[in-house]
Amino acid sequence: MITLRQVVKSYSRGGETLVVLDHLDLTVADGQFCALMGPSGSGKSTLLNLVGGLDHADSGVVEVGGEDLTSMSNDELAGWRASSVGFVFQGFNLIPVLTAIENVTLPLLLAPLSGKQRREHAEYALELVGLKDRMHHRPGQLSGGQEQRVAIARALVTDPQLILADEPTGDLDRNSADQVLGLMQRLNSEMKKTIVMVTHDPAAAAHAGTLVHLDKGKLVRIEQQTPVSAGAR
Amino acid sequence: MVPFRVIWRNLFGHPVRSLLTAASLVVAMFLLCVLRSLVVTLDAGVTEARTDRLVVQSAASLFVTLPENYRGKVAAVEGVKHVCSWTWFGAYYQRRENFFAQFSTDQDTLLAMYPEMEIVAGDYERFRLNRNSCIVGEALVKSYGFKLGDKVPLIGTFIQRLDGQPWEFEVAAVYRSKAGTLDSGTLFFHHEFLKKAREEKLCTGEEGVNTYVVKVADGNDPITVASRIDSLFENGPQKVQTTTEAEFNAQFVSMIGNIPFFLSAIGSGVLFAIVMAVVNTMLMASREQTRAVGILKALGFTSTTVFLVFLLQAITLSLLGGGTGVALALATSDALRDALGTTFPNYVVSHDTVVVGLIVTVVVGLIAGLVPALKLAKLNPVNALRAEQ
Amino acid sequence: MALVPLNYNLRSLIQRRTSTFLTALALGATVATVAGVLALQQGFETLFTKSGRDDVVVFLRKGAASEGESAFTRDDTRYLVNSITEIAKDASGKPIAAVESFLALRRRKMDGGETNVPVRGVSPMSFDLMGDRLKITSGRTFQPSSDEVIIGAKLAGRIQNTLVGDTIVFNMTPFKVVGIFENDGPAGSEVWGDVERIIEALDRPLFNRVIAKLADSSPDALAAFNARMQADVQSPCEVKTEAEYLAGLTGMLSGLLQFVGSILGSVMGIAAVFTATNTMLSAIASRTHEIGILLATGFRPIPIFLSFMFESLVLGVFGGAIGCLLVLPVNGIETGTSNFATFTEVAFAFKITPQVLTSAVIFSLVLGLLAGAWPAWKAAMMKPTEALRRS
Ligand SMILES: Nc1ncnc2c1ncn2[C@@H]1O[C@H](COP(=O)(O)OP(=O)(O)OP(=O)(O)O)[C@@H](O)[C@H]1O
Ligand SMILES: [Mg+2]
Repeated sequence: MITLRQVVKSYSRGGETLVVLDHLDLTVADGQFCALMGPSGSGKSTLLNLVGGLDHADSGVVEVGGEDLTSMSNDELAGWRASSVGFVFQGFNLIPVLTAIENVTLPLLLAPLSGKQRREHAEYALELVGLKDRMHHRPGQLSGGQEQRVAIARALVTDPQLILADEPTGDLDRNSADQVLGLMQRLNSEMKKTIVMVTHDPAAAAHAGTLVHLDKGKLVRIEQQTPVSAGAR
Repeated sequence: MVPFRVIWRNLFGHPVRSLLTAASLVVAMFLLCVLRSLVVTLDAGVTEARTDRLVVQSAASLFVTLPENYRGKVAAVEGVKHVCSWTWFGAYYQRRENFFAQFSTDQDTLLAMYPEMEIVAGDYERFRLNRNSCIVGEALVKSYGFKLGDKVPLIGTFIQRLDGQPWEFEVAAVYRSKAGTLDSGTLFFHHEFLKKAREEKLCTGEEGVNTYVVKVADGNDPITVASRIDSLFENGPQKVQTTTEAEFNAQFVSMIGNIPFFLSAIGSGVLFAIVMAVVNTMLMASREQTRAVGILKALGFTSTTVFLVFLLQAITLSLLGGGTGVALALATSDALRDALGTTFPNYVVSHDTVVVGLIVTVVVGLIAGLVPALKLAKLNPVNALRAEQ
Repeated sequence: MALVPLNYNLRSLIQRRTSTFLTALALGATVATVAGVLALQQGFETLFTKSGRDDVVVFLRKGAASEGESAFTRDDTRYLVNSITEIAKDASGKPIAAVESFLALRRRKMDGGETNVPVRGVSPMSFDLMGDRLKITSGRTFQPSSDEVIIGAKLAGRIQNTLVGDTIVFNMTPFKVVGIFENDGPAGSEVWGDVERIIEALDRPLFNRVIAKLADSSPDALAAFNARMQADVQSPCEVKTEAEYLAGLTGMLSGLLQFVGSILGSVMGIAAVFTATNTMLSAIASRTHEIGILLATGFRPIPIFLSFMFESLVLGVFGGAIGCLLVLPVNGIETGTSNFATFTEVAFAFKITPQVLTSAVIFSLVLGLLAGAWPAWKAAMMKPTEALRRS
């Protein structure tokens, strides 16, 4: 699903170049639920953004779902994101002025669907995350956990093969975090989505089947594990 | 596809700010439309002037009168259909501030000369037959409450009755003007009346008339007719200058001064202020919406779409306010004309003004939205997402 | 009661400088527009009112408000000049009085179009009454009883045939331009020639006014004299000082400009207040957390209110300064309009007086204060707990 070869990404700040990803190689197979861990500043978000086609690598190859992202223009990347990837960020995931269902419908505007189909898809996605009854609420009227679940609904509404999550439980209490992680697991096991999730929290990482450790822009190690199931404790 | 709902909802994300900005736009566009309408009204005498009417005046000065016997001489010129004299009376009603135009005229040809004169009350025939009567414009009825049958007392200035009494004219009819070439705030009375008073030495003032307006008979070239009239009096006793109605009216417009300059200066002040206001609002909005733009981009919306989302937001805001201002100017057109009284009796907000107003509104939105929209569109999604909410 | 340090607000204005600048520009444009209209009014008023002579009186026919409306026969003028004992006499015993005619003549402008140029026929005494207010700047003055004219400097070069050496034709008679003169009043845009020659050329045996110096020029004496002349049987007149006469002529246009200025000021002012309110609201929104901290530390609502009022007042100061800078370049720009009492063209200049600038700055400060009131009140009324909760 994901293949990174010799990926370099650096930022220049005040004349100094900061190498964030340093000749990184990584492969994530189809259908994996992969947790990306590492200290703050190690390049996790940067990596996720490259895989999600939000940014260009300086050099190296980023291949996702058989497509070479490094050769795409910004507009091509945008089109690719619309159809092939769903994002969940740490917080402020939703557009504050839109209701839950409107937020979820948003990516569907980029697909050739009728208004009715869009509505059905969005309602179905909200039902999946258990928030159909809150669909007319604004983000401000939802709890942090509910907001994240709406974000997950939005990420899966276009039925992409890949879902990328950057600390989706970072701002949440244990209970809400468990709900979100359970959802991720279901997406992975029942809907066969490939998931890459950045997290600092070992308890969250325990829900994934693969653990990828990053430090100073380099891959440290990859572990396979038996995921705990959400709500097991 | 452009997510229109995002545009719409963003506008109401900060209802107070949008409302205040829209309200400024209402005020500004209202003002601009009114200013433009004033200019258009001023110019209407020129732009709507008829090509088949000529004005004969003294070549030396508008204030030098032409002899009475020119009327017949002009009427006899080949290609002239009607002749109608106008003589400035310059009196006032009760107080000097109650100043409006009065002319003595030829009652037999006035209506034929000005088809745009529509009688709305009373009877033109009654005016024509009664030497002591007058016909008044609608604006005078509104400003001073003149009624049919009223005797309007006018205090003369340079044409004074020697017995010290005011002049009196009985209102026989009320007219409305359907074009900018005829003012709705004028009182017309019989020139015969004035001539007789002068002949009987009952009043001050010079003999003669100010201008003769000529209707050119169908099939005649007005310019040829004008030069025929001019050459008729080439050797005096009074040289005349015959111009088209447009030229004649233009001299009055230019007299007021450089009105286009003043009004465009004021207009640019208003425009500049409003553009700054809307730019300010859109910059504040763009700062707040940076993260939302990041989300849109992450979801796969292109830079072009993001650009449009923001630009359309600015234009919508501008149209909400500016459109209301234009509509307000249109709706208050009649009320404002009445309020302006005899100063601008033909004031009207034309369709042209509405169109220009809306175009200016859209342009204001474009200007205000362009820079922030470009900035947001160019923003890399990663940086946009890193922005503070 | 502890006040919030002022530099706290100044820092905020600097931090949000784009917004501060745009708001000040919007205020400035508003202020400049209104100040421009006032400058026009000042220029106009200076020309007419301030240039009017207090010691010269104008005789007009009773009922006439301007020269254009007034007419005297030759008999009238003889009577007025020679038989009115109140008129002062010069050293040689001649009455200090001048008969003048006035007519607007149609002339071509150099830049195209026509305009009405005031042509004044004057007597030798007219010059004595003008004294050093009238200066010949080039050429010489006209010879009495000759077909020569001198041209006001504001006309010269704007109207065809108005430079020294040109010939200007009135009706059928050619007049030679022999000099250019300067005068701060309306005469600066007139053509002057010998009254008898002008009347003859125009074939118009009427005089428009008599000007004179009175032996007793006190206001009381003038009032009594005016009352007497109004009732005069032979030639009833209105007598006013020239200053009064000119003020009366232009009161309407001057008043109109003031009216336009105040309408513009209030309408544009509303829009400007809204803009500045927006800016202040946004400033306060982004500092909600800080306000919470201030309130929590024990600052009272009134100092917080005052603090934001100060901030918005500073916006007003910037706006006023920008407005003054924007309007300054129009100072001295010449423009023309018609004197509607005589339908003649008068040229005058925008005049940025200290009064205009003061009004502009005060106007801007008022706008700033009006704009700040509601946001500052909102800030002062915040509950510390809620303010702190919001980031
Ligand atoms: N747009 C940028 N411009 C400059 N520097 C950046 C930019 N984005 C990231 N960085 C820097 O790159 C490094 C890696 O950032 P990244 O966000 O990938 O770290 P992270 O592993 O996600 O950390 P965290 O766990 O704190 O989120 C950091 O030092 C960060 O400051
Ligand atoms: Mg990160």
